[in-house]
Amino acid sequence: MSTSFAVLQLSGCAGCEVSLINAEGWFQEQRLAYMPLIISSEDVPEVDTLLVSGAVRTDEDMYRLRHAARQAQRVVAVGTCAISGGVANLGDRPEVRELFFADNERRHVPRLLPKPRPVDAAVPVSLYLPGCPPTPELFMAALFDREGFEGSKTVCIECGRKKTRDRPKDLLGSQSGEVDPEICLINQGYLCVGSSTRGGCRAPCTRAGNPCVGCRGPSDGFISRSSQEWFDAIKKVFQRMTDIPEEQIDQAVRSPQLALFVFQFADYAAVPRDVEKVL
Amino acid sequence: MGTLTIPLSRIEGHARVVVHFRGEEVISAHFQATELRGFDYFVQGAPAEQMPVIVPRICGVCSTAHHIASVKALEHAYQVTPPPKAVRVRELMMLGQLIQNQATSLFMFTMPDFPGEEGLPSLFHFGAEDASLAPKAFQVRRAGTNLITLAGGQFIHPIKAVVGGVTAGIPAEAAARMHRELADTLPLARQLFERYWELFVGLKERIDTLGDDAPTYYLASVEPGHAYYGDQIHVLAPDGKREASFPACDYRQYLTEVPTETSYSDGTLFKGQLLRANSLARVNMLPRMGTPLADEYLTRFREEWGHPAHAILLFDVARGIELVYCLERAIELLEENLAEGDFRVPYTPRDGEGCGLVEAPRGPLIHHYQINKGLIEQVKFVIPTQHNILAIERALEVAARRYITERGISLELERAVGRVVRAFDPCIACATH
Repeated sequence: MSTSFAVLQLSGCAGCEVSLINAEGWFQEQRLAYMPLIISSEDVPEVDTLLVSGAVRTDEDMYRLRHAARQAQRVVAVGTCAISGGVANLGDRPEVRELFFADNERRHVPRLLPKPRPVDAAVPVSLYLPGCPPTPELFMAALFDREGFEGSKTVCIECGRKKTRDRPKDLLGSQSGEVDPEICLINQGYLCVGSSTRGGCRAPCTRAGNPCVGCRGPSDGFISRSSQEWFDAIKKVFQRMTDIPEEQIDQAVRSPQLALFVFQFADYAAVPRDVEKVL
Repeated sequence: MGTLTIPLSRIEGHARVVVHFRGEEVISAHFQATELRGFDYFVQGAPAEQMPVIVPRICGVCSTAHHIASVKALEHAYQVTPPPKAVRVRELMMLGQLIQNQATSLFMFTMPDFPGEEGLPSLFHFGAEDASLAPKAFQVRRAGTNLITLAGGQFIHPIKAVVGGVTAGIPAEAAARMHRELADTLPLARQLFERYWELFVGLKERIDTLGDDAPTYYLASVEPGHAYYGDQIHVLAPDGKREASFPACDYRQYLTEVPTETSYSDGTLFKGQLLRANSLARVNMLPRMGTPLADEYLTRFREEWGHPAHAILLFDVARGIELVYCLERAIELLEENLAEGDFRVPYTPRDGEGCGLVEAPRGPLIHHYQINKGLIEQVKFVIPTQHNILAIERALEVAARRYITERGISLELERAVGRVVRAFDPCIACATH
């Protein structure tokens, strides 16, 4: 358990900070020593825990991260961007990258790195809090004793939609037309990756009829494996449950247009994480 | 030439202020946004119908506004009209968004600036007299996030608005629970706002100014009885008269982007003139708020500071009036039957162009999509914070001139810079996206 912590925000959306603020329970018992979003202070002081959200996107992010990490006993990577670079990695395609840098390199502000990098590409990380954003419960588990904390399973298990014998023949994509409120989205032909995505979110997306895009990253079984194995597992689920041709699934999972969810996994294969370190 | 770089805190995202001066002459004051992710680039090629799931990630603070603007842009392109009850549910999401944002801006960002000679570092540093302030502020803010969760599925990156409507209504029992929570929150919000107002007046007495008060154009998409859902965009002239009204897709005829090389956020002009958006723009534009308690505050505001009011620190007080309004308005909407009825109409995706507008906490937000073969070909995000960039810089110059004099640079400058920027409550994640 920590008694003091700091929050360093790199390039992200502040959703992780908003979720931390909603966790509330910490603010009576822990000393929040640094969090520019809500506290004005000069620099990161010595703390037990440094929570880092956002990706390393600029050279200033890189400097601030390395500088701050020296002040902390342990570094916790918070949220999808800090763990894998996040949604901005959707731009890690040659045609997008070229245009993006051509338009923006003229600006005299912190220089952009070639691609958004995860926190552990720069400093050692002791704990990962997955999610876009992580739930308030995960913040509490990271800041206090983890006793009683139950690891999450998959989104699929938390979703509770009924699996049927319906075997769709074509992939409907991610969202299209009228969604049946009761039946599994895969049975309806949607590209849902909830079967291998880390749960803990209580599946609000799939319950509402939006296929899971995998924002919380891979479930325990896939964390330390290559992304190829993860892709294969998704394909197997569709083979088992549908008659959609394998090429269609393969193309969907791999094309940047349809496989939006790949963004969260971009770096998992390059830096396999220890399952024990992922909450 | 001297240069002062002043870091900023208690705002959403990364920015700093750079002041150039020669002796006592202030040459320029720049507001620099120092982060960039590139949403308008990397969504190219994404399936159009997935945009409402992708774009909330532009900003964790304003994710509800982006979610709904996105759905409205697709509905415009597909020429589909959601049923009235679905619009009501979306309005509740927006009211939750505003309650959350205004409570955060009021109590966590700006209120610590007011007490004593130097202000405080944060909400947690108030003395014994205000010991209950932090827990109450958290509670008011939480009422907003709970309302978003109820209407939108989750309070960050909500998912319940879909093309043609919303995925579900609000069950009567849950609506009644939320109604009670908001009714309990309203008196707390008023207590906090009264104290805020008192400390604000104390600050005014100490510094003897409310900042840049030159008359300006104002931009907002509000009408009486509104719930931040956005219909048309209106422009108020500096003298308080209505200058123009236009639908979202006509923004290019009225607003021009001013590129800059010292920030990742560009600014905006209205027909070549400086403009402002956010709380003060809305409060100046509305004849009255339309709910009893908010109208009492508005009357008091206008008696004190006139109509239209132009001094920038009044953005802060205007935000408090809106907090009360949003709580009252949400209570009214929750009294309607949102459990049964039509919440969704069928639609056929089609290629073309669409614009979606909402009145986000910081002003009119437009998503403009071009769709080809079901995929996003091009997007333009017209971000409210950008409309304020040039107004922020003018107000920073006014502050810099006040505190850089023949006697030297006053220590008050750094505090004034913080107050100026926070008055506009800029959202840098949105502005740069």
